[in-house]
Amino acid sequence: MSESTFMGVERDRIDWSPRIDFTKCNDCMDCVEFCPHQVFEVDENAKPKLKVKNPNNCVVFCRACSKTCGPDAITFPDKPETTKMIKAIRKAEKEAATDE
Amino acid sequence: MNESICVLPCNGLDKCAGDLSRRVALELTQSEEVELICPVLLNQNKTRYEKALAAGDLTVIDGCNTRCASKLAGDLDLAIKEKVNVSDVAKALDIKLGVEIRDDQDTQAVVREVLEKINSSAAEQTESEFIEPDSIEYNTFSHGKFIFKVPQSNYFFNENDCWVTISGNMARVGVSDYVQQNLSDILYVDPPEIGDKFEQFDDLGSIESSKAVFEIISPVSGTVVAVNVSLNDAPEQVNESPYEKGWLVEVHLSDFEEDQDLLHDCPAYFEFLQRKVAEIDV
Ligand code: SF4
Ligand code: SF4
Repeated sequence: MSESTFMGVERDRIDWSPRIDFTKCNDCMDCVEFCPHQVFEVDENAKPKLKVKNPNNCVVFCRACSKTCGPDAITFPDKPETTKMIKAIRKAEKEAATDE
Repeated sequence: MNESICVLPCNGLDKCAGDLSRRVALELTQSEEVELICPVLLNQNKTRYEKALAAGDLTVIDGCNTRCASKLAGDLDLAIKEKVNVSDVAKALDIKLGVEIRDDQDTQAVVREVLEKINSSAAEQTESEFIEPDSIEYNTFSHGKFIFKVPQSNYFFNENDCWVTISGNMARVGVSDYVQQNLSDILYVDPPEIGDKFEQFDDLGSIESSKAVFEIISPVSGTVVAVNVSLNDAPEQVNESPYEKGWLVEVHLSDFEEDQDLLHDCPAYFEFLQRKVAEIDV
């Protein structure tokens, strides 16, 4: 199952998951085999076969599957931006909590 | 230290990166102390190389990120002493390898660089400035047949299960007991380079068991000043002592106060881990 928060911030407010460049992807499915968090889904009849089905299952700041990808088809959002955003949300929530 | 080395190259004969692995391996075998291991034969008949492997350290050359050679070594439970990835080296040199096999300036440069990497592997590092605490007290909890340990104080964790412990502006980074148990027997530690600057949540190398590769996601930002060289010969220390002897990287901190905002202290991580373990049945 997915964690529902990351550092107290709801997971669905954090945009972190693999992005597949299908012009490079060769359907090897190494990433699917590698990731233990059910982020990907394979549909043999679809084109492309690979789908990022559960982006919010992806572990925030993990980039591990991109290393298994031979053709380098997997990228991630900008990490410093993501960190900044998480910190901003935490700060805003703290402030909101003390205001009450 | 063993005198001889065994070289296990990738066997991707149909692609450029595989061909370069082969060329590096052949260059290396010019030296008498080097025994070349054919991955196909090794896979068929491990006993053929038993003697050589017992006498020498194993160097693995992967062509690309599919890491067939590493995986083969892992499947056969061979301890990897050193490894290089031809595609990573090419990328660092900004050279595109592509598929086609060729012998030109670019590919020669990659071969040279890989050889250089293998020959100069013993990175220089200064004496550790980190002051180790005398003894560390732990809290434990159990889940099924597993028992998980978390220190009682002085460690900080990110939610990626990596820890940091501080002494002045120096720190050590490692993985939690949970990671170690999940991976089971760790066969190889791939450390970052000394002098590398990194930010919080950048990766700081990886550790590998036959089950999986785990990326070290740094809990802090800073500069790598040392790596735990004793893990070259004894990676199992990460299993046996994940918070102490099995530390991975020593760093010079750049802004711990800022980093701390996204870290748990020991009691908070203890709670976090209990929840996590309960959720993802290990
Ligand atoms: S590992 Fe890379 S090439 Fe293979 S299926 Fe995944 S994205 Fe595609
Ligand atoms: S980054 Fe990590 S958690 Fe996310 S899909 Fe890849 S392997 Fe899975």
